[in-house]
Amino acid sequence: MADRAVAPRTARGLLLAAACLVMAAPFAWMALTSLMGQLEVFAGGGLLPRTPRWSNYPEALTVQPFGRYFLNSLVFATAVAAGQVATSTTAGYAFARLDFPGRDGLFMLFLSTMMVPAVVVLIPRFLMIEALGWIDTYQGLISTELVSVWGIFLMRQYFRTVPRELEDAARVDGAGRVRIFWSVALPLAKPAVATLGLFAFVDAWKNLLWPLLVTRSMEMRVVEVGIAAFHSTYEINWPYQMAAGVAAVLPIALLFLFTQRYFVRGIQLEGIR
Amino acid sequence: MSGARPPALAALAAVVLAAGLALVLAIAAGRVQSVRVAAAEAEGRMAAALWEEAGGAQSGARAVGGLLGERATILGAGDGGDRAGAYAYEAGALDPAAWIAVEPHGADGLPGTLPGGALAIALAGAALVAGWAARRRRGPVSSRYPRGIALLSLGCVALAAAIAGRWADGELRSLSAATAARGAQAVELALAGGADPARAARVAHLPWAEDGALEATSEQWTMPAGVAAAIAASPDRAGQPAGAPYTVEADGATWHVAHAADVHLAFLGYERTASPALALAAAAALAALLVALALHLVQLAPRPRALRRMLAAWGLLAPAATLILAFTLGPLLFSLWISLHEWRLIDPAPLFLGLDNYAALLADGEWGSAIGNTALFTLHVPAAMAVALALALLTRGSRRAMRWARLALFLPGITSVAAIAVVWKWLLSDRYGLLNRGLERVGLDSVPWLTSPDTALVSLMMIGIWMVVGYQIVVFQAGLAAIPRDWYDAARVDGAGPWQRFRHVTLPGLRHTLFFVLVTSVIGSFQVFGLVYVMTEGGPLGATDVAVYHIYREAWEFLQFGNAAAMSWMLFAVVFAATWLHFRFLDTRRAHG
Repeated sequence: MADRAVAPRTARGLLLAAACLVMAAPFAWMALTSLMGQLEVFAGGGLLPRTPRWSNYPEALTVQPFGRYFLNSLVFATAVAAGQVATSTTAGYAFARLDFPGRDGLFMLFLSTMMVPAVVVLIPRFLMIEALGWIDTYQGLISTELVSVWGIFLMRQYFRTVPRELEDAARVDGAGRVRIFWSVALPLAKPAVATLGLFAFVDAWKNLLWPLLVTRSMEMRVVEVGIAAFHSTYEINWPYQMAAGVAAVLPIALLFLFTQRYFVRGIQLEGIR
Repeated sequence: MSGARPPALAALAAVVLAAGLALVLAIAAGRVQSVRVAAAEAEGRMAAALWEEAGGAQSGARAVGGLLGERATILGAGDGGDRAGAYAYEAGALDPAAWIAVEPHGADGLPGTLPGGALAIALAGAALVAGWAARRRRGPVSSRYPRGIALLSLGCVALAAAIAGRWADGELRSLSAATAARGAQAVELALAGGADPARAARVAHLPWAEDGALEATSEQWTMPAGVAAAIAASPDRAGQPAGAPYTVEADGATWHVAHAADVHLAFLGYERTASPALALAAAAALAALLVALALHLVQLAPRPRALRRMLAAWGLLAPAATLILAFTLGPLLFSLWISLHEWRLIDPAPLFLGLDNYAALLADGEWGSAIGNTALFTLHVPAAMAVALALALLTRGSRRAMRWARLALFLPGITSVAAIAVVWKWLLSDRYGLLNRGLERVGLDSVPWLTSPDTALVSLMMIGIWMVVGYQIVVFQAGLAAIPRDWYDAARVDGAGPWQRFRHVTLPGLRHTLFFVLVTSVIGSFQVFGLVYVMTEGGPLGATDVAVYHIYREAWEFLQFGNAAAMSWMLFAVVFAATWLHFRFLDTRRAHG
């Protein structure tokens, strides 16, 4: 058997466990600190909270309107995911299956924009949103993020693996191009759609810079900006900050737990081609 | 293949052209109208200041009437805000608060004032294209591309845009001159009311200077030194009667100047601060694009299958293409344009500098150190990759265990950066942080992780490794699983040891994966922001001031958008060069076997 057994089974397991421990330790410390008293953290006692102070959570999450932040993040990330799925599937299908003049040139043009660091378009995007009067609105937050070239690429690759025979059968039945896309190709692409949607959602959820620029009021803040602002306001109240941090990490961790095969698929599609 | 030709489509080109021309004219007219309102606002401000200067309801109303006549209406404190086409300004806090509503110039005759020439060209162009479409309908079916008509339409749009632009420019100039003249009139009224010159000059709310100060500008006067010098040198200065506007060129712009007694007022022309040139060019380009598309469709009309395929393709592409054009490609060019200007949000109009921003940045030590810090920070990528590759190799094949490990491995990479930054700041805190407490417990000195310029960047790199390494392990495992087992067997048959198998089988087999991870991680690392923003704010002493954070501060703290845009383009160039070098490196490696 090739190079499978570089290390014996138990050693492999232990190594992996150690790596996981290092990865998880900061999160564990975050959770433990979130249950300590405000002065207890400076007393230099043990690692465990003396008595778990659960009231840190309701207190920390209400001294600033975190409920509103979570709602905003949810609206932002959901809209971005839905928009990216819509634009990527349509464009990906056109690039994968339709013949039209200039297709390959246009695809290369799209791909080349992946090289552009986001910060280059940040200033003009901000000025445009400001000129439109969309600062501090959902449309200002969302509109620039609705398309992802990575998503178009992903969907194009996926649609190319769909057997042509299925589409040809539909065409014999007299279905048009758009009809075939909607009722044959798209249902087959559900796994790729799920992957794209999840990545778009997570990327939007952890986007800090853009919401920081286009939101001003507390009512429009997203969780990321909320955590950053909370940090500068409650600088030394670590338990409150950690409670807010746990609340911010938990939704994504749960999402990952239930959908991890789509994440892994996305990573595999990304890493090897 | 010569199927039915939908006749409606043949007229499409003409309709699109007409719509494009209408768009161009509407933009020019809309811009002029909004500047008319802005000019009325400026007059309202002058009137309110004059009212306050006059110091009394009776004399105040008289002064306002003298300045603006019928166009000004004085309203009670309550009912100011909702007058259509007028501007309301709150006069003084001392007197009974009142509002002054000013009717904008030329608000009634908008369609009549549109340039006749542009209208004529628009109509002629639309008629020509319509005529061509009608003739095609009767004539023989031809699939020849109607280049002539396309060029003609393009010419029509460009000419109409140019004429509309010139007309708008002229209108804006006369509005600017009127504003300067009105300012001088307001000052004159204030002087006549017995105010001393310095107080009277402020009534106009425009940059001003006194006669004597034109040659030797002191800080007391609000007029820019360059403008004062231009007025002093202007041949028009002596000959003009009080209140008559003339123009001078200064600071790369046209200023409209008028004087009252020995107070000179300058006004930066609307034709510069509100020029519709960019919007007109964009509208004309859009119209030309649409006309070309419509003509293409007309040309496809005799071949319904090709037409339907084309429509399907563009229908499906339209959302993504529009968004990419509007929010990526357009902004890309816009940002290049901004980077050639001194572009501050507080200025009325950006000043064209050419490449000066870039030249200044090349000599800017702080920007240089920001780029250097970014490059240093990026060194965490190869370090993380080495760790990840080693771990992926050592845990190779443990699929079941991996399923359980994934959450822990992935979480740092996919979760909230702000939360991660906060918990690390707590972990690395000087006195109470867990790491330093651990170090002290085992008898070592504590380390000023984030508070010393020597260690702060290294601490961030550590966190950077922690954030990406789990994700990289998963990617590398996927890559390793894709290497055919035969290769290893063949190598073993050839007598290759573990190192040689790694060197000649594993590494080449993983080459694409490694390259992909390297390039994407480096690009990502060049854009690090959240960690720095939350944890160190670029400190201590600028040790963690990375490129994107520097750009963020330059633009949104110091409001130097032009400079920040130039920085972002330099960063782009660095990222581009890095990627290109990787490609080159990869190619030569492949060429040498």
